[in-house]
Amino acid sequence: MRDSRRARLILGILLTAALVILTVDHRTGQDSPLRPLRAAGSWVFGTAEQAGAAVIRPVTGFVDAVASAPGAQRDIARLRAENARLRSDLAASKVDAKRSAELKRMLGLASLGGYKVVPANVVARRGQPGFEEVVEVDAGTDDGVRAEMTVLNGDGLVGRVVHAGPRTSTVLLLSDPGSAAGARMEEGREIGVVHGVGEHGRLLRFQLLDASVPVTRGTRLVSFGSRNGAPYVPGVPIGIVEQVEPASGDLTRTAYARPFADLTALDVVGVVVRPPARDPRNAVLPRREGTR
Amino acid sequence: MTAVVAVLAALLVQFMLVNRLPLPAGGAPDLVLLAVVGAALTRGPAAGAMLGFGAGLLVDLAPPTAHVAGLYAFVFALVGYLAGRGVGGRAVTVVVCVLLAPLLAAAVSGLLSDPRVTAATLTQQVPVTVVCTLVVAPVVVWLVSRGTRERYAL
Repeated sequence: MRDSRRARLILGILLTAALVILTVDHRTGQDSPLRPLRAAGSWVFGTAEQAGAAVIRPVTGFVDAVASAPGAQRDIARLRAENARLRSDLAASKVDAKRSAELKRMLGLASLGGYKVVPANVVARRGQPGFEEVVEVDAGTDDGVRAEMTVLNGDGLVGRVVHAGPRTSTVLLLSDPGSAAGARMEEGREIGVVHGVGEHGRLLRFQLLDASVPVTRGTRLVSFGSRNGAPYVPGVPIGIVEQVEPASGDLTRTAYARPFADLTALDVVGVVVRPPARDPRNAVLPRREGTR
Repeated sequence: MTAVVAVLAALLVQFMLVNRLPLPAGGAPDLVLLAVVGAALTRGPAAGAMLGFGAGLLVDLAPPTAHVAGLYAFVFALVGYLAGRGVGGRAVTVVVCVLLAPLLAAAVSGLLSDPRVTAATLTQQVPVTVVCTLVVAPVVVWLVSRGTRERYAL
C-alpha cells in the first residue's frame, strides 16, 4: 500500500484546507478570523518559550562566547575535566554581568531620549529556515506592550511590535525585508526610508527621497518617527552608512547602512511604551569615534 | 504519539535554541521538517500528510510569526505525503523532501507577492538552509523513526 486513493483524498482535503486558511488570512490581514488561534498559539508557545529561556540562555551565551573567541577554544581543549565546573560557573557569571551591562546601557539610552521603556528578554527567534526576521520577547500586554510599538536596545533601533500577547510579544526586526522605517540623516533634515535586506541583519538599505542630496560614508541615521509615535518613535539611532550606490538617475538615492544594534545577537531589548514629548533629534546618537 | 511529541520538541528547540545560535553563513537546519519527514517515512502517505498539516499549522501559529498562516501547513502536508509515499530509496526521499520544502514555501510566498521572497532568497538563503538541514538530517531522522517498526518497503 505505497499509495492509495484514501491517502490521495486526505492529501487533497488537507491541501485545500491549507489554501483556504492561506487565502482567508492573506485577504483579511489585520482582522483575520485566525486571530484567536494566533493568540492561543502565542499564549501556549510564548509561555513554553519563556519558561525554556532560562534553561537555554546559558547555552546560547556559552556558544556566543566560544564563537566570538576562536583562540579560546584551544585553551578550552587543554583544560582538564576538574576545571569544567569552575569554567561553567565563570561563564554563567560573565553572561549575567554582560546582560546587566546591556540593560544599563539600554536604560541609559532610553533616559537620554526621554522614552519610557519596558525591558524584555528575547526568548525565541525565527529567521532561516523561513523568510522572515522576527523574535519573541517576554513582555506582553500585561506589561503595557501593544502592537505597533518601537523596540530598541542599548545600541539603537531593533524593530517594532507586530503582535502582543498577554505575556509575550512578537517583534519584527529592522532587518526583515518586509519592514520599512522612516529615517533622517544626522546632518541636515533629509529624510528617507530604511528597508531590511535580509543579509542576516548586517546591512540595511536606505532610500533617500531626494536623489540630488549627497550621502557620504559614515553618515549616521536616526529614526524619523511616525504619527503619534506608532510604530516608530523619533530620534532612535538606526545605523551608519557604509556604502553608497552611484547616482543612477532614479528618483531616489540608495545607500547601505550598518545597524547600530547587532540584530543577529539580541538579548535585552526595550519596548517604548511612551514616546518622548519632543523629538530628541541627535541627542541619542553615540559619541563619534575618532575622525573618519 | 511519538511523532507528535517529536514534532513539538523539534518546534521548541528550533525557535528557542537553533535559530538563536550564531551558526556559519547565518543558516540553520529546519528541524520540524526533518521530524515530519522522519515520522512520515515509516507511517505511510495518509498519516504523513496529516502529521505534516498539523506540524505546519503549529509552525504557522507558534510565535514569533510574521507570515501568512497556512503557508507551512500546505508545504508540510505535501512533504509529509511525499515522504510517506516514498520517491526511490529512503535517503533519496529525505533529500527530495528537504530540497522541495523551502522551494515550495518560496513559491507559495511568491504567489502571495511577499516582499521577502526575491531572487537573492533563492540563490543565497535557500541553499544554506538546505545544506544545514541535510547535515543534521541523518541524526534527526534516525531519532524520530527509531521508535517505530520498519513498515517502509522499497
